[in-house]
Amino acid sequence: MAQKRKPDRVEVVIIGAGATGATAAKVLTERGMHVVALERGPWRKRESFGGDELANVNRYNLWPDPILNPRTLRASADEEAKINLFCPVPQMVGGGTVHWQGWLPRFTENDFKLRSIVGHVPGTTLVDWPISYADLEPYYTEVEWAFGVSGAGGVNKFEGFRSKEYPCPPLPATRYGQKFHDGCRKLGYNSFPTPMAALSRPYNGRPVTVQSAFAQQHGDPTGTRSSALSVFVPDALKTGRYDLRPDCYVHEITVDERGRCKSAVYQDVGGDFIEQEADIFILSCGAIESARLLLLSRSGRFPRGLANGSDLVGRNATFHEFSAAVGVFEDPIYAWAGGGYVAASSYQFYEHDEKRDFAGGCHIACAGVGIPLPINWSLPGRPAWGPQAKQIDRDFYNHSFAIAMVVHDMPQHDNRVELDDKVKDAWGLPVARITNKIHENELKMGRWVIDHNAEILDAAGAKNVYRVYIDRITGNCSHQHGTTRMGNDPKSSVLNKWCQSHEVDNLFVVDGGPFPTATGANPTLTMMANAWRVAAHIAGRHNADRKQ
Amino acid sequence: MTDPQAGGGAAGAFFDAHQRATIEAAMARIIPTDDQPGAREAGTIEFLDRYLSGLNFIYAKPDGSGFEKLEGKRAEAWTQRIEIIRGKYVAGIEELDRRSQSQFSAEFVKLTTEQQDRILDDMERASLQGDADSKNAQAGADSAPVEPALQQTNAEIDLDFFPLLALHTRQGFYADPIYGGNKNRAGWKLIGFAGPESMAETHAGRFTTLPFFAEQQIDWEEEKNYGSKA
Repeated sequence: MAQKRKPDRVEVVIIGAGATGATAAKVLTERGMHVVALERGPWRKRESFGGDELANVNRYNLWPDPILNPRTLRASADEEAKINLFCPVPQMVGGGTVHWQGWLPRFTENDFKLRSIVGHVPGTTLVDWPISYADLEPYYTEVEWAFGVSGAGGVNKFEGFRSKEYPCPPLPATRYGQKFHDGCRKLGYNSFPTPMAALSRPYNGRPVTVQSAFAQQHGDPTGTRSSALSVFVPDALKTGRYDLRPDCYVHEITVDERGRCKSAVYQDVGGDFIEQEADIFILSCGAIESARLLLLSRSGRFPRGLANGSDLVGRNATFHEFSAAVGVFEDPIYAWAGGGYVAASSYQFYEHDEKRDFAGGCHIACAGVGIPLPINWSLPGRPAWGPQAKQIDRDFYNHSFAIAMVVHDMPQHDNRVELDDKVKDAWGLPVARITNKIHENELKMGRWVIDHNAEILDAAGAKNVYRVYIDRITGNCSHQHGTTRMGNDPKSSVLNKWCQSHEVDNLFVVDGGPFPTATGANPTLTMMANAWRVAAHIAGRHNADRKQ
Repeated sequence: MTDPQAGGGAAGAFFDAHQRATIEAAMARIIPTDDQPGAREAGTIEFLDRYLSGLNFIYAKPDGSGFEKLEGKRAEAWTQRIEIIRGKYVAGIEELDRRSQSQFSAEFVKLTTEQQDRILDDMERASLQGDADSKNAQAGADSAPVEPALQQTNAEIDLDFFPLLALHTRQGFYADPIYGGNKNRAGWKLIGFAGPESMAETHAGRFTTLPFFAEQQIDWEEEKNYGSKA
């Protein structure tokens, strides 16, 4: 193996260049700090993306290839874990934001204090957050304005205080958005245009988003959708202080004699191992992979993994199960228009309601059925082959859409991420083993919400409605949280409210890992807002030190 | 086994003549021809034979100008995957013929379409039974509903022969024509998907679905008067 020169020590190493890593990089570099980013995946440019359902949805063009990056899953500790794609996220510069359609709703004020509102939920480790909506509000606004989010403030009646309107008005209405709005209106439900990472007007020198059908799970060849790749990475590069190194897979974070992080040891694309020292280490690999990296980083000081004296790293892992009621209509819907996710939403079922038999609630929104492109569209119960299958494709492909939900997955002590003791990835490292047992709260919430989504479809004039209930967390959604939860008490949390390790003061985690609860809404806007908040804090402290 | 990088028999082909005829016949039952084209007219066999031929047809270039050359770990993974899937096809074709011989005393391709449907039905049933057995072994998964494909990609190599064949038939019928199937956009025309003229159109940002959006906008300002928090 060729010896490469050890790179110079840097102020900050950020591991990961996805949604939150790129946010933190932008904020830190724009405030004068020097950042090295170590991203395990490639740095793909927009020219390498295209309108290709087969490659992107079916052949792992952007999804992690399960042969190279498997995970394992089991429902409890006494079961044998099996290889499973559980909760995949693209591993590349830009991460999941490369192939998303970017639904960016805010959390509500009550999301940060759900434990206080509903009390103890048996079997869960439900807690309040150590921060409030007011702490995050300025950073929600920062992200919305950096991205050029399209939406309409104040239309969602359940939304919290907003210091500034959305920078772009809502996207044009789709037929599925209109049907959803009609159904909600008939039932007296409030609905609103789903805030989206797409431009409804030219913004910051970027043109209006092209409304291709190849959007959800596709990279954007036009660069007109908003993502970490199209916005935050270029912003950070402009400062000249962002050293972004793709195809650099961090195997371990080492500690010095005082127990502080010393270096990140990574393998580059040629297979060489390189050690990068830094003052501050920020993890943004996604809640599963950040926990995995901490657990891989064992030392005499931290025999159970870095910052894991508490044995809490990897625990309280929460996900979102995506499910839907599906309606079939007489008139054409063309739910592939805009890619199937130029949507309308409702928070009517979002807030906790004591009249229901479950805690919490969730965001609902209309969308195509699954990925509503020709190969992957389907109707529940459609046979796999034969004349009837062909007839269903012909009759209903253009006449169906879904009202979807992401179930609010309650945190549980034993739902966790660990290192698998048998399965290794293509680089020889133990993969993440997920242990997840669904809580009855999710089963009840799933049933109640799907039934109510079905009523909206009925009210909108559906001639047939199918209900797809949740019976377990299959990991069919990329949202992941909680493995390094933040809190004020080191005995019950991994990080403090600044997402800084209680045990290692130069270590931060800024992805979904710090989230004490999953909430019922798409989390990436909040993850980016929180990463912005933490990065601004780090830079503020650093710059104050430098002045003294 | 042959080296996937080099490809099987003819360039862009894996099956021998009998295997190809067998799979083509089965595909013609999976998406049958009626007053509109089915799998046979759309050339789904061409799509599959190319796929199994090696690594030369895995990813089209995004501008539609050809196919990507795979390298490194990606190439290793695909080599492994193609090898596994080839094995499933070789064994699956043998099983089709074995079942056909034992029930109707002829090879699958020689059967009537009704007889072919019977054989495929049996194969599907056997696979579903196996699925249910393995799901039942997993705690909490004993009443799995029929799910539409939602967000998750399926792990192709975990599928049995029959669901794999059904999936590949569907892919060949509906994928961009650059992959060898969906001839004359037969699949897209059947369901009314107004896809792009070519991948180059999408790549250049000229493909738009705006004509398929709603004709009228929603008055979101007015929505502020609707719904209550109660």
